[in-house]
Amino acid sequence: MKKIFVILLLFFIPSIVHAEQGFLDVTAPGNRQLQLAITATRSPDGMQDSEIVKDVSDILQFDMTLAGPFSVKTVAGNDGNGIRPGEFDIAPWKAAGFDLLVKSSYMIADGNITLEFRLYDVFKNNEMLAKRYTGNIRDLRKIVHTFADEIMQAVTGETGPFTGKIAFVSKRTRNKEIYLMDYDGYNVQRLTRNGSIYLDPDFSPDGREIIYTSYKRGNPDLFRRELFSGAEAGISARPGLNITGAYAPDGKRIALAMSKDGSSKIYLIDKAGKLLARLTYGGNIDVSPAWSPDGAQIAFISDREGKPQIFIMNADGANIHRLTFRGAYNVGPRWSPKGNRIVYCRQEGNGFQIYAINPDGSDDTRLTNEGSNEHPRWSPDGRFITFSSKRGRKEAIYVMRSDGSGQTRVSRGTGDDSHPTWSSCW
Amino acid sequence: MMLCSAVIHLSCYFLLVKFHYYAFPLKEGPVYYVDVVNLPVAKPRAGTPSKSGSAPPLPSRKEMVIPAPLSQKAVAMSKTPIEKKTPAPVETAAKLKAPVEKKPPEPAETSRQFEERLAKIEQDVAEKHMSAVLEALQKKVGGAGKTGQTGIPGGRGMEAGSDYAGYIRSRLTDAFRTTIAFQTKNPQVMVRLTIDQSGKVAGVKLERSSKDRIFEDAVMNTIAKAEQTFIPPPGGGKFEHSFRFAPEGVSKK
Repeated sequence: MKKIFVILLLFFIPSIVHAEQGFLDVTAPGNRQLQLAITATRSPDGMQDSEIVKDVSDILQFDMTLAGPFSVKTVAGNDGNGIRPGEFDIAPWKAAGFDLLVKSSYMIADGNITLEFRLYDVFKNNEMLAKRYTGNIRDLRKIVHTFADEIMQAVTGETGPFTGKIAFVSKRTRNKEIYLMDYDGYNVQRLTRNGSIYLDPDFSPDGREIIYTSYKRGNPDLFRRELFSGAEAGISARPGLNITGAYAPDGKRIALAMSKDGSSKIYLIDKAGKLLARLTYGGNIDVSPAWSPDGAQIAFISDREGKPQIFIMNADGANIHRLTFRGAYNVGPRWSPKGNRIVYCRQEGNGFQIYAINPDGSDDTRLTNEGSNEHPRWSPDGRFITFSSKRGRKEAIYVMRSDGSGQTRVSRGTGDDSHPTWSSCW
Repeated sequence: MMLCSAVIHLSCYFLLVKFHYYAFPLKEGPVYYVDVVNLPVAKPRAGTPSKSGSAPPLPSRKEMVIPAPLSQKAVAMSKTPIEKKTPAPVETAAKLKAPVEKKPPEPAETSRQFEERLAKIEQDVAEKHMSAVLEALQKKVGGAGKTGQTGIPGGRGMEAGSDYAGYIRSRLTDAFRTTIAFQTKNPQVMVRLTIDQSGKVAGVKLERSSKDRIFEDAVMNTIAKAEQTFIPPPGGGKFEHSFRFAPEGVSKK
């Protein structure tokens, strides 16, 4: 019987085995950067403005280099040919090993500039993107940042954050006032000017409003300001602290820490300041709420178990659980717009360092090493983090990639700059 | 139906055993000499195979590289067997030929000896097939990608290049090394590739996306780049197979 079974297997099984096709693995080591060439922009009339040519190349190079997936090479001068498909030979770029090529031209008329950009996939000999922008010549930087965002969209499938603004607190006029600048540190604008102390700015999800705490009435009250009109309104002036306000992802609610009932607790108010709910209770201190991108959870700081640590709760205050267990003093949580990481600061020695952790408490990773680093905030696309760092005599604003690489100082002020926050694209 | 099939197969099997093995000890078959034909590509990065099939020219005397000197111990070890193995070539040939010509006829087997031998052969065959079945089942449990099956579906391994899937993989791997780029942590892409009779890519079907556009573009560029090195599938037909692209060290999901 056993022999018969074996003989049967001998005839039937091979056909079964042969039917399993499967797949083959194709693997390669490392992660290559895409080779991006940026040619100098050219004016069709041949009258080149060297400042414009340099600015366009420099801005694109800065944005694309910070982005991460690209190795950027700017090519001084141009080949004298056009920028449209068929007007130049792409073969030399392919032979030189480039994956992507940016060509551009500009025209100036009546104080306005028209910039035309073309992005080519060199390998496929394919035009990926063609955009023409017209605006005041003062908007040159914004135009180029806008095209950088478009490159990110075309190549990675997600738009870039380069047209977003960074609001920050600066002591360059000796008082702590709120300023606004491009993400790369240019076009600094002062928002507040009444000699008081301003803290913890936070953008609304659409980037058109900002909330912050000010001592201008003597008490730390929460204010809301419309960036385009400049109108300001106090939205929480309750007794005690009204600090660390954070817009909910829906833009309609604000979570903040208030001490009107004793010790500092987390509350919810609407944009007009109406109290919606109290989320935390007890005799300890709870501050710095940070929303998850779906608005379902809030991370915050609490000393309920001794030293300040990061905790997470549902948006209705239920299910409070501790997130950080390493380090004696962890503060300043911010949830990634993608929802997969929470960035925070840990006290180490005499200063702070920035860490990122998964919302389930795993993969707790240190991102900074040099100086003392605080107030981390995500870029709207979740690719970058802006933070303040003291690496010399003065504190300054920095940006880095979400893995801690590419740390670059962007603020150029003479005073201490801190509390940065990055708006969505304007 | 099953029983009928089993009876027919059993009959065939016993007939084969009877005529094949019974005749085997009595008649010695002619010896065929077969040249071993190397497949076009044995390993990734081994270069593009020559389509003409002509052998590469021998290196000139100037181009030859003298190997680095071995250590004393290694020299001593390497010398000993060489010195012992230097008989004249003519003698070697004679020695090789001699036993074939002078081989005495083997004594006839008794029926008991024959039955024992037949039983042993049957057992060996059964064990081989059992191990093949077990191996196939283990691979199936361990994941489809671990089957190691690289030949053309239905291919018999009769002609050079019959491991065509392996050849295509090696070409893709070569190209992938120069195009790989990704922005997510562990991207993986599954692609079903169809190659026509002329060796051109006739179809690329994305069976599983990585949601990493940079990586997927890199995979598509890999295929386009590798296509330039493809040769027509053997047998004059189309070739279709699935390939999983991933950075090295990324485990299967």
